[in-house]
This record gives sequence, structure tokens and C-alpha cells, in this order.
Amino acid sequence: MTEKTYFKVGRRHWEWRGAPDGNAARARARVPGSRRHWLKWRDIHNDKTLGRERVLVDKKPLWWTIGLGALAVATPFLPNSMISVVSIFCIYAAINVLWTLIVGTAGIFSLATLAVVGASGYLAAAANVYLGVPWPFMLLIGPAAGFVFGAILAAPSTRLDGLYYALLTMGVAEICRVFVSQLKALTQTGGAITQVDSFIPEDWFLQRPGLLLGFAGTFLLLLGALLVWRLVNSERLGMLLRVAKTSREDEAFAEAVGIDFRRARLWVFVISSAALGVVGAFYAMYYRSISPSIFSLDQLLLLFAMMVIGGLGRAEGAVVGAAIVTLIDKGLIELGPLRIIIVALIMIVVTIFAREGLTGARDQFRDFRNRKAGERRARRTEKGGEAMPEEAAETHDKQELYYRRFNKRLRERLKVMITPELIEEHKRDPLGRHSDALARVLNFFRRGEMADKYVIHRMAPAEERFRIMAVSGIRGMPPRVVDDREYTDIKDAYHAVFLLRVNDLLES
Amino acid sequence: MDLGLIVYALNLASIYALMAIGISILWSSVGIINMAHGATFAVSGYAAWVVTGALKPVIAASLGQTALASAAMAGALVGSALIAGAICGAIIYALAFLPIHDKPNYPVRALIITLGLNIATVQGLLWWFGPRNQGLPKIFGFGRWEVWGTRIRYDQAGTIIGAAIIMALTLGWLRYSRRGLEVRAMMQNAEGAAYSGISRQATALPVLMLTGALAGMAAALLSQTIFVSPTAGVIPLVKGLTIALLGGLGSVPGAMIGALLVGFLEAGVGATPFLGQRYVMFATFTFIIAVLIIRPRGIGGLLDDTRE
Amino acid sequence: MPEILEIRQLSAGYGPLRVLHEIDLTVRAGERIGLVGLNGHGKTTLIRAITHMSGWQQGSVLLDGAEIGGTRSLGAGRRTPGLVRRGIGVAPQGDAIFPGLSVRKHLECGAHTRAAWRDRKARIDRVFDIFPPLRPLEHALVGKLSGGERRMVSIGRMLMTEARLYLVDEPSLGLAPKISQRVMEALWDLPVTGAMIIAEQNVTLLTGRASRIVGMHAGRMRGDVGHVELA
Repeated sequence: MTEKTYFKVGRRHWEWRGAPDGNAARARARVPGSRRHWLKWRDIHNDKTLGRERVLVDKKPLWWTIGLGALAVATPFLPNSMISVVSIFCIYAAINVLWTLIVGTAGIFSLATLAVVGASGYLAAAANVYLGVPWPFMLLIGPAAGFVFGAILAAPSTRLDGLYYALLTMGVAEICRVFVSQLKALTQTGGAITQVDSFIPEDWFLQRPGLLLGFAGTFLLLLGALLVWRLVNSERLGMLLRVAKTSREDEAFAEAVGIDFRRARLWVFVISSAALGVVGAFYAMYYRSISPSIFSLDQLLLLFAMMVIGGLGRAEGAVVGAAIVTLIDKGLIELGPLRIIIVALIMIVVTIFAREGLTGARDQFRDFRNRKAGERRARRTEKGGEAMPEEAAETHDKQELYYRRFNKRLRERLKVMITPELIEEHKRDPLGRHSDALARVLNFFRRGEMADKYVIHRMAPAEERFRIMAVSGIRGMPPRVVDDREYTDIKDAYHAVFLLRVNDLLES
Repeated sequence: MDLGLIVYALNLASIYALMAIGISILWSSVGIINMAHGATFAVSGYAAWVVTGALKPVIAASLGQTALASAAMAGALVGSALIAGAICGAIIYALAFLPIHDKPNYPVRALIITLGLNIATVQGLLWWFGPRNQGLPKIFGFGRWEVWGTRIRYDQAGTIIGAAIIMALTLGWLRYSRRGLEVRAMMQNAEGAAYSGISRQATALPVLMLTGALAGMAAALLSQTIFVSPTAGVIPLVKGLTIALLGGLGSVPGAMIGALLVGFLEAGVGATPFLGQRYVMFATFTFIIAVLIIRPRGIGGLLDDTRE
Repeated sequence: MPEILEIRQLSAGYGPLRVLHEIDLTVRAGERIGLVGLNGHGKTTLIRAITHMSGWQQGSVLLDGAEIGGTRSLGAGRRTPGLVRRGIGVAPQGDAIFPGLSVRKHLECGAHTRAAWRDRKARIDRVFDIFPPLRPLEHALVGKLSGGERRMVSIGRMLMTEARLYLVDEPSLGLAPKISQRVMEALWDLPVTGAMIIAEQNVTLLTGRASRIVGMHAGRMRGDVGHVELA
């Protein structure tokens, strides 16, 4: 006996599907201390097998786990130079993720991200070097400074439009740079604070154990940034802001339903500024120094290029973009200025072709495909006609399909019945006994939907002037006049309605 | 404030106005915030340097040391800068306008592309020519005039007059010519413009080339005062952008008033003893931020009162 | 009489939404056609499809025997200026005015051919004769005008250059009855060598004046009989 072979059909037949017990109650693990679930499973009913199936709806957590896990596992085996590249990548990715919160979630086009990082880094480093505060406390001073600085910066954001605010924040970065490099206490180091204490012991600095420890720290920093992103973007604040995201109308709508989106934006800004303060303090510790170059436009543009290449407003975009740009910028250091040109060219090419960076390419392709499919279907479908195959696949009520098919066949049959003699018969006697063919046609007309029907309008009471109007088929919407012809005999009007219906039938 | 300071302020203001007007016109007609304006500026400066360097022996051989020779030199310098600027404009048109102008998110994407162009061009110049400053021939000569006891250098006077002429020509073109009318119509309603037979693609190219040429003119004029270098475009770009914003993006009169204000402010701050040159940027930004917080739509918001 | 516009099997829509279903329409020289139908039944889309402003379209549109239709692959509105230059004058829905230009400059925009541009002074004068209320407003900004005046400016812009085919979308929309009467009168009195299509909801404004009234219902033609002659 030969083995039966089954061919998998349908959309995404390669996807793994669980087969939970249909009789058992559904149990899902929750994140401790919250009502969230770890993964977004959905149980669906398979019409063919009549069984229950379980699919993973949101696969992003899987990709995050795989990517970050691979990074954590692989890095300790890399050579020293690569370990520091990976550490720098982690720092940049953390900054970018937090910046994404400001640009994407809050929708504030701020360019002061590095200014916040730098200012809080400077404050934390100064506290450590000049006041002798031990290094763990730097991780508290940093966010406090970032919080205050962010609150000051956020205040004008509700008043100014996007570009104007971007300019303002760029000005703030410039003011910071000038201020720091003018400080008298730092002139002999060119504005830099050096000899900052760190979580890496001093004799390990730039040695392999120190590098590994540094990587561990930066990796935790990236995880922390992603956690902040998740907590802000996907919880209450992010949900509120999603309502008022794209346009002025959305903002008006959000206000109308009682969402104080300005306040929510300010909170997102301040929270991510505080987190950027942590990054700043960490930055000073990691390098054991901090210099005014952190406020420079070039550094900012490099970070901006990362976000743009990965996809503006997406956390995965921020991380992927940081990986690409850091690899080119720090990994191919022997190329000189050419590598900045490469980064700029990648940025241009990605922006010309992709709407939302590399990570948005998939969504963009799907949108494109769906739009084209919709257009193609719209070109082919005939109103009132039979359903096209792909439309039929998506219509859940199959009864509808048979009804439409039957109607279409009926119309085909009736169309051939319509002859000049038939029309002549109706013209002679619109009411009364009809031949079999005419009776069938009239029956079909009577049975039709309201939207296809016409009414006769008597122009003035007790006067023999009639007009033909078409019924809208929508409750409360009055019939409208079809044309300007007037009939003085009601029989002519009946016949005109008949002819209109015949026309519609022949056209369909 | 003495006359020399006023001349210096006007000198700054005319260069800034050339940059700011280009950015402003471009935003309102084509919808691009042109971050590559600084690159256009630097490229034009280098083009003028290369062309004048190549033509110098030719002109010297054929015309000698006459006034005609210096006129030919000036013509070569300004002409090459203008042409290079216009070519840069055409490149921006081909990369940042044509492929994406009817795609979603167009203004932000155009800004990013021009920013990328700016970075790539500056780095490319750095790679090709090296970071050294290059001096251009002085087309206005080295002399100075004595006016009411103050000395005015030829190059300052030439810059102010040249910029004024160019701006007058541009504004006149926008106001009185048919093409200018089309540009203004397109600025205000793209659909209405299409129904009036005005093609967006066909109108954007001359606008981009014009604004590129404006940046080239600014480069040619500024090269009389400072040297040409790969990063020479950054400061004019930032200044032009901030002044265009100060004037209320899209408003040409606003941009000119803004340029005058900032020119005088910078000259004043630079001359004030306890502030000095190093605080010029600082003062400008503080001033503009203050203005924008008080009037969020800039100076143009005061001038414009039409109903949408 | 020569056929100015011949539409065959024209379908158009926006994305998955199909608005026009295989429209056939022929317009001959000298005709003024009234296009009636309710909101959302495809009047504006028909006008937009003729000028290539709809989302997608297919089918044949012949202007003076030359094909201007076809399946559109470029973005919406890319071919519109070219079509306007070939002789389609449009007064669109919502007027599409330039708020910051004066009435005179606005009318000058409409003179897009070389001949019309040279002759623009006389033509502006003619538009002022058609719409006398505009004359005192010559230098006023259009953004400050009332709705009726804007409509006049929009139609005046269309009249600045002779077109083979004039498309007027809802000339009475949002206007007071008296003003809409005046606008319609101006349209009827216009000497037209080509043809004109006026989309309008109010049939009474068209009766008696239009050479033909064509009804649109759910994206199809009604009343303009193709298969069977009406008695």
C-alpha cells in the first residue's frame, strides 16, 4: 500500500502551528507582577480539520532574543579590537533606542540627545573627579541631571513646530559645546574631564578582562534601554500617544476624547532624557573621560544616520542601523574619510527606496503588494457580478457567493429573452396579463434590491406630469431625479421605468 | 556704532540673505529643506578655485595686467561658481526630488537625502582636495575707500553690492516673470497649479538650479573675505537655515529682515569688548531661540495674514 | 459634428475601491453636458479620471481623436499639466485657488499658452466682463475673498485659455442660490467652440439650458441610453 502524500496549501503553510488539546482550558504564563503575557499566541479554528491550532502572532520577541543572545554569546570569542567595537555599538544602540522614544513615540524632533548625554556625563564626571563621589553614585547623578535638563528642554517643545524645535535643540547642543570649551578649569585638557573613576578597575583598562567587563556593562545598558523603550512605548504613555501620532487632525481628535497628549509627550521626553543621563554617566565611566566632541554635529549626524538607515521611529531600526554604521565607521577604520562617504551613500540609497528604513522594508513591500492586489481586484470585479477567486477566498459567508453566482446566471438567461417584441408588448400594456417571458423579466425586476429600483414622481397633485426618480436604497436618503424628461401619461412613465431597468439589466 | 561696523554687518547680512533666501524659496516651492545647501556652497567655491587656477596663465598670457584681465578673472570666478551651484541644484533635483516627490513622508525623506548629500560631498572634497584652505583671486582688488573717515574695503563693498543686485534680480524674477508666477502658484496649491498647466517636475528644476546658483554666488562673494575649504559650507548652511527659520520658513521678506537682524547682531556682539568673536554663535542662537519662543512662526508670521 | 471627447470603457478608483464602472460617454462639439448624480456616485471621479488625477484608471479616453487615457502607471497628477496644455480647462471642486496671489495674478496663471500669455490683459478684461464683481477686487488677495468670489476666480482662471473641453465640477456647491444662478448664467452665456461638462447635483439649475443631461448612479451612466432607445 502506497503512502498518501499531502501537499500543504494556503498562506504561510511553512509556519509552525501548535496543536493544543481542544478540550483543555487555555492557560498562559504571565509576566510576574503584571497582566502581560510573555508571547502573543492566538488559537484559531481550522475549518478543514475542525481542530484547534495555535499560532505565534508576534514573532518580534523571538528575533530580539536570538539577536541579542547571539551577540552576548559570540562577543567573548572575538579579538580585543572587535570587543570594543561591539561595546561602542551597544552604547550607540542604547542612545538610539532612547532617541527613538523621543522622535518616534513622542513625535518630538529633538536633536539635543547627545547634548543631554554629554551634559549629564559631564556633571557625573565632575562630581566624581572634583567632589570625590564614588562611581556607583554617578549612575544616580547622571539620570538626575538628565531629568532636569530634559525638563528644561521639553518645555518649549509644545509651542514650537517640528523644524523650529529641531533648530532650537541644535542650538542648545552648540551652546553646550561652547560653554564647556570656555570653562577655565578645563583649559589644559581642551575641555575634557579625564581620570574618571569607573566600574572597570584601573589596571584592567584596555586589557582583555577590562574590555570584557566593559562589554558586559554596555550590553546591560542596551538591555536597560530596550526595557525603558518597551515600558514607555508599549504601555500607557505610548498607547496614549499613538492616538495623536501623525497629523494635526489626530491631535485634535486626541484632545477631543480627553487625551492630554502634550503632557504625555513631555513625560516621554523627560523619562528618556533621564535614561539618556544614565547613558551619559556610563559613557564617562566607560572611556574614563569625557570631551566636548560629544556635543559636535558630526557625532550627532552619525547617530542620525544610524536611525535613518535602520528606520526612524523603530527600536529594531535603531539597533540594526547602529550595527551597520558602527561596523563601517569603527570596523573599517583604515578607509579614512571614505567610510563616512559610504555611510552617507547608504543613507541616501535607503531613503530613496525605503519609506521607513531597512527594518520597514518588509512592511513597505507588504503594503505595496496589498495595494496592487486591491487595485487589480478592483479592476476586475464587476459590481453585482460573480465574485473573483481571491475575493471568494476572503468572503466568510459562502452563501453570499452562491447567491451572486445564481443571480448572474439568472441575468444571463433573462438577457436573451429581451427582444423588441417583448418591449413592444410592455409598451402596449404595462399592466395586465403578460407573456411568459415578460412575466419572468418583470418578476426578476420586482425581486431586485431597493437600490436598483426607480419610482415615479407626480410633479404636482392631481396633474398628469410625471418624472422618474431613482431610489437611493439608503434609509433617510431621498430618491433623486434621473433625467429631465417628463411624461404626461402614467403608462409612458411605467414603460420608461421598464426601459431603464432593462438597460441596467443589459449593462450588468 | 560707527560706519565700519555697519558695513561689516551689511556684509555679513548680504551673504546670509543669499543663503537664507535660497533655503526659504526652496522650502515653499519644492518642499525641500535643503541641507545640501552648504555642500553646494563649498563645491561652488572649489569650482571657482579650480577654474580660476586653470585660467590664470591663459588670461595673463593673452591680456596681461590690464583692467580687462581682472574683469575676465572676475567673470570666470563668478561664472564658474554660478554654474557649479546650478549643477549641484540639478543633482539635488535628480536625487532628492524626482524619485520621491509623490511618495509618503516626502519632506522628511528629502531632508535626509540632502543631509546625506551634504555629508558625502564635504567628505568627498576633504578626500580629494585635502583639508587645506585655498585662497581665491581677489576680484575687487585690495584697495579701500575713505568714506567719512572710515575705511571700507573693496571686497566688502563689492559683496554688498553684488548680493543686493543678485537678490533684486531673483525677487524681480519671482515677482514679474511668468516662470516666477508659476513657482509662486505651485508654492500655494499644487493641485490648482496642475489644473493651470503648471508641471511640478518641470518647475522644480529651475527653482533648484536657481537656489543652487544663489549659493554659488554667496560662495563667490564670501571667497573674497575668507578662504575656501571643504567644511566652509557648514557655517553658511547653519546660518542660512537658522535665518530662514527666523524669518518664518517660506517667507522671502522675512528671511531678508532676519538676515539683516542677525548680521547686525553678530557685528555688534563681535565688536563688544567683553563678548568678542567666540560668543557670536552663542548670541545668535540665543537670539533666534528667544524670537521663536515668542513668535513661533518667525518674522514671516507677522507679515503674512492671508486666509488658508 | 466632430467628437471632442470619447470615453470608452473607463474604469477608475482609489486603491481597492472602484468608483467608475466601464463608463461610455461621447461629447460632440458645441455640446454642454450636465452630469447629475448624488454625492459619491462618481461625478468628481469622472472629471478627475479624464485629467488623470484619480488613484488608478483603465480604459480609453479620446480627446479630439487622440488617446489620453490608458492605464496610468505614474503617480496621480503627473500628466495633468500636459493634458491641460492639450486643451482641457478645469474648474475643480473646492476651487484649488492660490491664497497668496492677487486676483489678477491668479487669472494670469490660467493663461498657460504662449498666445494667451501675450494676450492676457484683454483676456483678464473679458473675465471681468463675465464676472463684474471681480473687477474692483483686481488687486485683492484671493485668500481673503468670499466663497462665491473664489468660485468666480477659479472659473475665470479656466476661461483664460481657450480649451477644447471645459470641465466644471459643482459650480453651485456651497454658494447662495442667487450667486450660483449668476455663475451658471455666465457658464451658459460662454461662447464655446469645443464642449463643456458641468457636474452638478441640482438638476433644476441645468434643465432647459444643458444640451443633454447625463445621470450617474453608483459609478455608471444612467439616462444616457446605450442599448435601448427610450421612447
